Amino acid sequence: MAQRQNSWRRRDERVRFSSLLFVVCLLFSGILIYLDRPSSRPGVFADLRAGSNDIAVFVLDMAVHPFRGLANIGSWWRRQSELAEENRALRMQVAEVHAWRATALSLQERNARYREALNLQGATAQKRISAWIVADRSNVFVRSSLIGAGAREGVRTGYPVVSVYGLVGRAVEVGRNSSRILLLTDINSRVAVMADRSNARALLVGDNTDFPRLEYLGDEPDLQEGDRIITSGDDNVMLRGLPVGQAIRDRDGRWRVALFNHTAPIDLVWIWSFEPVADPETDPVPVKFSMTKRAG
Amino acid sequence: MLVPVKSGGENLSILGFVLTMLLALVLHVLPGHVGRGPDLVPALPLITLFIWSVRQPWYVSPPVLLLVGVLQDLIEGSSMGGWSLAYLVAFAVFRVREVADAGHKVGPLSLRFTLMVLAAFGIAWAVNSFAVGAPIAPGSLITEVLLTILVFPLFAWVFARCKEYGAFS
Repeated sequence: MAQRQNSWRRRDERVRFSSLLFVVCLLFSGILIYLDRPSSRPGVFADLRAGSNDIAVFVLDMAVHPFRGLANIGSWWRRQSELAEENRALRMQVAEVHAWRATALSLQERNARYREALNLQGATAQKRISAWIVADRSNVFVRSSLIGAGAREGVRTGYPVVSVYGLVGRAVEVGRNSSRILLLTDINSRVAVMADRSNARALLVGDNTDFPRLEYLGDEPDLQEGDRIITSGDDNVMLRGLPVGQAIRDRDGRWRVALFNHTAPIDLVWIWSFEPVADPETDPVPVKFSMTKRAG
Repeated sequence: MLVPVKSGGENLSILGFVLTMLLALVLHVLPGHVGRGPDLVPALPLITLFIWSVRQPWYVSPPVLLLVGVLQDLIEGSSMGGWSLAYLVAFAVFRVREVADAGHKVGPLSLRFTLMVLAAFGIAWAVNSFAVGAPIAPGSLITEVLLTILVFPLFAWVFARCKEYGAFS
């Protein structure tokens, strides 16, 4: 405890606090560090973090509004002169999209029939939840974002989060009204991916840089710079086919991914409701093999 | 020499400390790229703690450092205890010990602050690397350290002017 009286203080004294108090605080910090490691975080800590996110999201959501407004003032004036031209281009695109929509619906129907015929049962997305990013805290130690949707809106731990550009990450801490998204660039992020062109499989490993690494590619991977990288769904934690980014090589010749979601700042995201394929039961239903007798 | 503490002024000062700390924590985690802003921001909580530790040293006690560190970890999403440990050790070693109402010169203060930033970020880096089980890439860490050191004189000057006009005193 500080060596200080309630209403009187020494002007000429030096600042000293109790050594015991300092040691207790130091020990408390050490215990917190040991217990709150991402790999072995107890449930009570996860609940505490989710609860604190709920409080933080309320404050941050209010605080971010003026900044969003200020950030948009300059671009709003610039955009006015471009609007007429953009409007014309958009009308043309809409007409084109109508044609593509008809094609997509037809292909979707055909795809559903094929799946039915083949009896394909994969992990599927059921619905999507829209949410604003309230705090995007990409600091030196953690790459995560806080969004204003939680268990009340249907978000669950592990659900994939996408923006208009592609995959952003997955929900790791879910509170009542908020969730924390672990970004693909975070050092704890691991996502199974593949190259769209060649189906070459890899693991996308975050390392707290803007360009996550591609690991476990094999000796001679069928990969080219510019290849579109999508989720493979092999890890059963992500949907198959979500766009991730483009394959690039760094200065050391290692494969990395330029993420699509770094194309522009992200404000709005969608959380896909995703149910992975369940593990086989420990006590499975016995399979009955039919013995057929051959004639003759 | 014992001097009486003005209770009304003391309360306002404590309120100023709490509000500036909360503001620093909130501004530190607001989206870096709302619009097209920078991804990295200076370590505002550390700057605020340091300035208050010079002006009102009794406020920046070990339990307060612990609390601010845990709050920062919770808001940022990093492992709890990392920033607390960093602040506790850095302030124990490098804080200004003299209670001087006359004020301090910006030059020596900046040097002391630089050492404190290096110590705090070094400890935070080691703790977070231990928590995730792998060394964290130091690139953006170095950038944030440099940014924090560079902007500190500006904050110190603003705070000194506020002090001159009676705010935060």
